[in-house]
Amino acid sequence: MNIDNMNNEPIWKSWFARHGAKLLLFARQQSRRPDEAEDLLQEAFVRIWRLYGHTGEVAPGLVYRAIRRIAIDWARSIDRRKVREDKVALDSPLSFSFDRTLEQDERKQALLRAVERLPAEQREVLTLKIWAELTFDEIARTLDESLNTVASRYRYALQKLKDWVPEEMQGKPEDSSPTAS
Amino acid sequence: MNEFEKLEAELKELRPLPPCDAFTARLEEALGDAGNVAMRCLPDQEDDASPDDFIKSTEKKGFSSRLLIFAGLGSLGLAAVWAAIFYLSSSLVPNGSSEQNDSANLLIAESGPVPEAPGAGLREDPDSPLHGISLKELQDVSVMPVSGWIDPQINERFLRRVDEGVFDRPGGLPARRVRHYFMDETLWSHPASDLRILSTTPREEVIFIELETY
Repeated sequence: MNIDNMNNEPIWKSWFARHGAKLLLFARQQSRRPDEAEDLLQEAFVRIWRLYGHTGEVAPGLVYRAIRRIAIDWARSIDRRKVREDKVALDSPLSFSFDRTLEQDERKQALLRAVERLPAEQREVLTLKIWAELTFDEIARTLDESLNTVASRYRYALQKLKDWVPEEMQGKPEDSSPTAS
Repeated sequence: MNEFEKLEAELKELRPLPPCDAFTARLEEALGDAGNVAMRCLPDQEDDASPDDFIKSTEKKGFSSRLLIFAGLGSLGLAAVWAAIFYLSSSLVPNGSSEQNDSANLLIAESGPVPEAPGAGLREDPDSPLHGISLKELQDVSVMPVSGWIDPQINERFLRRVDEGVFDRPGGLPARRVRHYFMDETLWSHPASDLRILSTTPREEVIFIELETY
């Protein structure tokens, strides 16, 4: 079947154009190494699309959940020492995952630095809520957490950002170490 | 008002970078057939001379064009019936006794001038597709040109897909079976008279998508 001759386009391309950037951002947060994020996203997307792609529309929450579960599987399959080494390699600035034009905006840069300081569990909730635009219910199912836990983490994250952004603007973060709430 | 509303708005203004083209190409390769299961039709382009143009033009002409096609097909049918009657009547002419011939002639004589006996004037026309009927006769009866048709144009049109679920294949690996429905269209055109006949034939295609067990 020649798709070009039929003047048709696979639906997955338009779907991916809509959700790809957000999925990749989440995959970068979930992966152990920066160069692993694309592999993670590819694995998750292909699995889900093969199962549900025939419907023409796939709920993004399914792919987010798949990304997280595959990331956990992959992390379990490598030894702990390597994880520690890779964790160091992961510490690339979050701003690399966003539009570079915001480098000129000092407040946005400060905001991103503050997001980077958040504990991982709060950062993933924030990412799913703000950029993936999932509901708290969808986030809870994606992360296998309760609705209350997810909502609390989100609120803690926003409160910390509100406190930290002025510090980042001044270039004097009082506490840069991630702390769980 | 939510105390974090401004902060949320600021965060939403930050746009994550889209995946690069190379990654999208890699994804396409990894998806394989599964990527082509669901498709959407793109809007037609005016200046795009695609092979579907003849179908589009036929559809645009709508009812009048279809009426013309039905009229053409009806004429063909009439021509075929006429030819069959003509053939049957010529083959059923009795070769019986002279008395029967005489009585037949008498009856004919009473009703008017004697016509030429059926089948007497049959001449094979090598160009005609029907036995015993010349090309001109066929054209007159069917009201359609017999010669001058250009080669038919063939096109396949994707209609829909149906997911038929997961099947266990003989090898043991499961596969999802998806059935695609197509309509094969053949268009005959006669440029001199601007006559077109569209024939449609339904067709099915079954695709097996390998599933991973994990």
